[in-house]
Amino acid sequence: MSEEHKVSDELRNAFVDGELDAAEWARVAQSMERDPELREEVGELRLAKDLVRHAYAVPPSRPRRARAAAASGWRSIAAAAVAFAAAGWFGHAWWERAPALDSASAYALRGDWHTLRADWRKLDGNRVLVHVSSGEPAALGRALDEVEDLLRAARAARRSVKVEIVANSAGLDLLRADPARSAARLAALRREFPELGLVACGQTLERRRALGRQVTLLPGTAVAPSALDQVIKRLRDGWVYVRV
Amino acid sequence: MRIPDFFGRRAAVRRELETSRELLYRMAYAWCHDAALADDLAHEAAEKALRRAGQLREAEKLRAWLLRILANCVRDNARARRELIELDAVEETLAAAGPTPEEAQASAQLALRVRRAVAELPLGQRQVVTLVDLEGCSYAEVGEILEIPIGTVMSRVCRARQALRERLAPLASEALGARLRSVK
Repeated sequence: MSEEHKVSDELRNAFVDGELDAAEWARVAQSMERDPELREEVGELRLAKDLVRHAYAVPPSRPRRARAAAASGWRSIAAAAVAFAAAGWFGHAWWERAPALDSASAYALRGDWHTLRADWRKLDGNRVLVHVSSGEPAALGRALDEVEDLLRAARAARRSVKVEIVANSAGLDLLRADPARSAARLAALRREFPELGLVACGQTLERRRALGRQVTLLPGTAVAPSALDQVIKRLRDGWVYVRV
Repeated sequence: MRIPDFFGRRAAVRRELETSRELLYRMAYAWCHDAALADDLAHEAAEKALRRAGQLREAEKLRAWLLRILANCVRDNARARRELIELDAVEETLAAAGPTPEEAQASAQLALRVRRAVAELPLGQRQVVTLVDLEGCSYAEVGEILEIPIGTVMSRVCRARQALRERLAPLASEALGARLRSVK
């Protein structure tokens, strides 16, 4: 290959990465016209680039950590002394000041487990409201997993914590005494952790009754005028809010 | 965009963070190939960014600034710093993601093999090539993010691509027929 045709590795990659100015680009393109080998190589570099991009287009979802790991995560978080006066996490500073919320903004606030784990260090209230409005079994199962992790971790760290589950809409099924799928687990959890509160949405109950569907709730379940009322009340009192 | 004061800047950083969570996580994952660790690193980087919002001078450089913080988190993290991760762990992470419709596709298998090849690169090359390929960072930006000279960026790109080409050669013929080949 003559000197004129020689296109360095750096140039080939810079060509593929769009790093060349017009003159350099033209020079490489010209060489490619004359040099099938170079064409093929540049094609392979492009392919490598595309493959890498494709490989991470959908990274694995953020992990639902293995139970042991999750528990230890909570434990370390719960045990950590809190001296972290930063701004809130992703706009979730709202709970720090126990804001007075109108109903629309209360529903607009979406905490999630990930956020809660992050916020936990900064909490001094130790009160967590878990709002369940989805009837999706996976989400409900996960909610129970998380609640259990949290309660166990707090107990292990001798940290007092109060958790309340408020359920409405399709999520109300979580608090039904029948069918017994989640009911048995929730009842067992309540026996072990009396600090776990259960609250059903009165409006959802009304609606179901109006449709002729009688709902039997788990023993010890309180009924709030509505889930929204309960959420706002708890937010005003400075509870951490997680929506499932 | 001008950022008038500290609070405005912090608000801007927070807004940007909300949209950058996935970016940070994906890049962290591409660097360490461990979903839980990547989650931690992305999280840590976002926290630091919020605390250091006052240091940000130009809003335009926010992405590079965030990624630099992430790179520092990786540097400070012994687990993430490991040059060679255990490759079985890559498989496991993917397998653990479960049989979603996406995972079931052949493209997921392809992604898996490419990730393994990327995971086998030394960390420095891995970081450079993923910043360029996933985020479309310029070489100059990569130099800023990783705090290395642009010449180093270029040589790492070359070495990384060479290694990837060799490792992915068996895939090339499969992929060439597929839609993955985008000739621009």
